[in-house]
Amino acid sequence: MSTDLLTEDQREALQELVNIGMGQAGASIAQVLDEFVKLSIPRISSVAAANLSQEIVRLVGDADVSAIRQAFTTEFRGEAIVIYPEQSMAGLHEVMGYDADTKENKGEILLDIGNILVGACVGGIANLLGMLSAFSAPTLIADQTPAYRLLKPEHIQARVALLVEVYFVLEERDFRCHLIILMPETDILALGQALDRFVDGI
Amino acid sequence: MPLSILVADDSSIARKMLIKALPAHWDITVAQAADGNQALAACRQGNVDVMFLDLTMPDLDGYGVLQAHRDEDLNGLVIVVSADIQEQAQVRVRELGAIAFIQKPVDAGKIERVLKEYGIQL
Repeated sequence: MSTDLLTEDQREALQELVNIGMGQAGASIAQVLDEFVKLSIPRISSVAAANLSQEIVRLVGDADVSAIRQAFTTEFRGEAIVIYPEQSMAGLHEVMGYDADTKENKGEILLDIGNILVGACVGGIANLLGMLSAFSAPTLIADQTPAYRLLKPEHIQARVALLVEVYFVLEERDFRCHLIILMPETDILALGQALDRFVDGI
Repeated sequence: MPLSILVADDSSIARKMLIKALPAHWDITVAQAADGNQALAACRQGNVDVMFLDLTMPDLDGYGVLQAHRDEDLNGLVIVVSADIQEQAQVRVRELGAIAFIQKPVDAGKIERVLKEYGIQL
């Protein structure tokens, strides 16, 4: 079963748009944290829903993670998940200006950072494609959960999901987080058409 | 003599976007490089007047290209074109000798202004 829903040209266009969106996200995070943020080169792939959990373990390792989720709607719909490996969270409350490392503070930090990343990245892509975008409020979907249990196949509505992976690393500390974007098949195809129009317009 | 321009970016889409943003009336020749090593190789041949350089590339990234460009005292002005717009990134590339930092997606007017500052009018 082929899982390639995007053509090579579409995939490459999306990668560049993600790259631009992510640059804006990185600049926002750098400003909030007052530190240099190292950005990865985005990777785009289509993944069968049944294989998503093992893909996530490949990305972040099999340690415990926390994660937030945010749904988005533009001319295509999907959801963005920001995954934070647990061991990289130490000391983050101080950087973010919180006195104590409490569960509540941690939750707020994860939601805040996630919200900035998703807004800049997904909103940036939509903007470059000339579309408006709207977002749900971010919600915490995992707190110290083993990575392989983060997403269960039965929670993924589509047979195939688009996996957009980027990660951010803070140079001065051991912090990293991963952003993945999941979209059902019909929305991936709609995105593909929008990417065609974008490439034709260059 | 037309100005010889090199566009170095691992993304062919990004190269296309940049070339499209170069004013149509300019008397230029445009060459492309798909990674840092190709970009350096082209510069070493000595016929690059202006290089538009991406920062995030696999293998040798834009910072590496700038470093080598300076170490080897290669000819040509380097303009960094980057999605990573953090202030620290801008400071770093200036320290490495880039004459300007242009944010992606590129704006044609900005390219023209930067070159004008360096006395290049086409």
